[in-house]
Amino acid sequence: MKTIRVLDMGLVPPLRSQAIYHGVAYAMTPETPDTIILVSPDAPYACIGYHQELEKEVDTAYCAEQGLPIYRREVGGGAVYLDSDQLFTQWVFQRNRLPLDLERRFALYIQPLVETYQELGINATLRPVNDIHVNGRKIGGTGAAQMGSADVVVGSLMFDFNFALMARVLKVPSEKMRDKIIQSLNEYMTTMRRELGEAPDRAQVTRAYMRHCAEALGAPLEIQEPTARELEVTEEIEARFLSDEWRYMKGGLRQSGAVKIHADVYLLEAAHKAPGGLIRATARLREGRIDDLTLSGDFTMLPAFAVGALEQAMRGVSLEPAAVLARVGEFYASMNAQSPGVSAEDWTAAIMALKAQAPQ
Amino acid sequence: MAIYAGCDIPEELYYHPAHDLWVRLEGDDTATLGMSDIAQTAAGKLLYVRFKGVGKRVRPGQSAATIESAKWVGPFVVPFAAEILAVNTAYEQTITLANTDPYGAGWMVKVRLLDPPAARAELITGAAAVAHFQQRIRDNQIRCYRCEDV
Repeated sequence: MKTIRVLDMGLVPPLRSQAIYHGVAYAMTPETPDTIILVSPDAPYACIGYHQELEKEVDTAYCAEQGLPIYRREVGGGAVYLDSDQLFTQWVFQRNRLPLDLERRFALYIQPLVETYQELGINATLRPVNDIHVNGRKIGGTGAAQMGSADVVVGSLMFDFNFALMARVLKVPSEKMRDKIIQSLNEYMTTMRRELGEAPDRAQVTRAYMRHCAEALGAPLEIQEPTARELEVTEEIEARFLSDEWRYMKGGLRQSGAVKIHADVYLLEAAHKAPGGLIRATARLREGRIDDLTLSGDFTMLPAFAVGALEQAMRGVSLEPAAVLARVGEFYASMNAQSPGVSAEDWTAAIMALKAQAPQ
Repeated sequence: MAIYAGCDIPEELYYHPAHDLWVRLEGDDTATLGMSDIAQTAAGKLLYVRFKGVGKRVRPGQSAATIESAKWVGPFVVPFAAEILAVNTAYEQTITLANTDPYGAGWMVKVRLLDPPAARAELITGAAAVAHFQQRIRDNQIRCYRCEDV
């Protein structure tokens, strides 16, 4: 039974909190033990996915104004806001030690996180493939990568989370969309503080997590220090992460335009030009249905409350043209609403334009 | 063509035992490489491929591309010294080519082998390759699947 090494890095500068697992991975030799890194940043920052374009994803002006650094990681996924209220749990294992099948790899990685939450009295469960949910709310995210000869899986224990700042650092098409992101994060995400009323003791959580890792992996854990070579490679990674070439890497992953809240919940915005004016639809989709909708623009609709009534009427409708048109038709049949130059087909077109933004 | 647990393992191709990729040797010193059925299954549906530039030389074990799927990011490794002659630009139109046709339209790069005898010495083919992948499939309890065309 091989001992798993734990590097408990404590609080480190934001750059180090991202670079350390890359450094340990790229420094890995056949002799390197499988390693779990526990680390938190000592200050807030934003972090973008490997193939994202920084300026398309993050409000760089806001981040610069607030002194928030932005780093690109070599793990996929979207832009996130991170701070000292998350304890990152970074697994750096020899290739082929973790299951090749990603669903099983994430299940193994997530098991000790779930058990740690459960030990604290939080009803956490694995939501396959790689989410952790607490009564339908997501608590943290995870990702996987191959770096050199290492398989890496990353995630976190969420003590607390600043939903407003998360929404603030993202580049979004409108403030309406940003408001909806904050509202949705509040509705569909949770933290230990929220579940327990206060954030638990960090040392207690760390001990519980290590114990559950040892059980899940069937191996003892031993706290050690990173090697000189690992720190040297980490510093090389830090230099790369600070370079403009890396930060502003172009031609990246085409984003769908949607902001993912959790596996089933996305926020989208789209517009349609009707003869009677522009319609902008900002919506939250849940499992392919409209969960929440805001219609804005320079159209006219009377009486004044009719727009709100139409927004309400669309809730729960599947994002399919026939279903949307039918519900809009029912709305007009039930209410004496007037919208000069904006037909039921225009509302349908504006709402269905959301579908083009939705992830496949 | 051998099929095991839903995974195609074309016996006429060459493979590197440490990487789930295939190699089609063409002439004395050129080859086409791609993700194996196991690799595309393990990665899941691709979202993005970033290729290194044509003309770039890679050392053994260096990557010729980075691949991002919905749940994973990793390198497309070239297991021998090579110069990249071409990259599959069709991924710009259809990102899931490796998921739908890993041994055909889903090829990744064409390369010139910088040391052909050394490169060939690294590779396995035929019955040896089938036996290797069958063991790998059993060890990892993998069952291959292909994405439908999108």
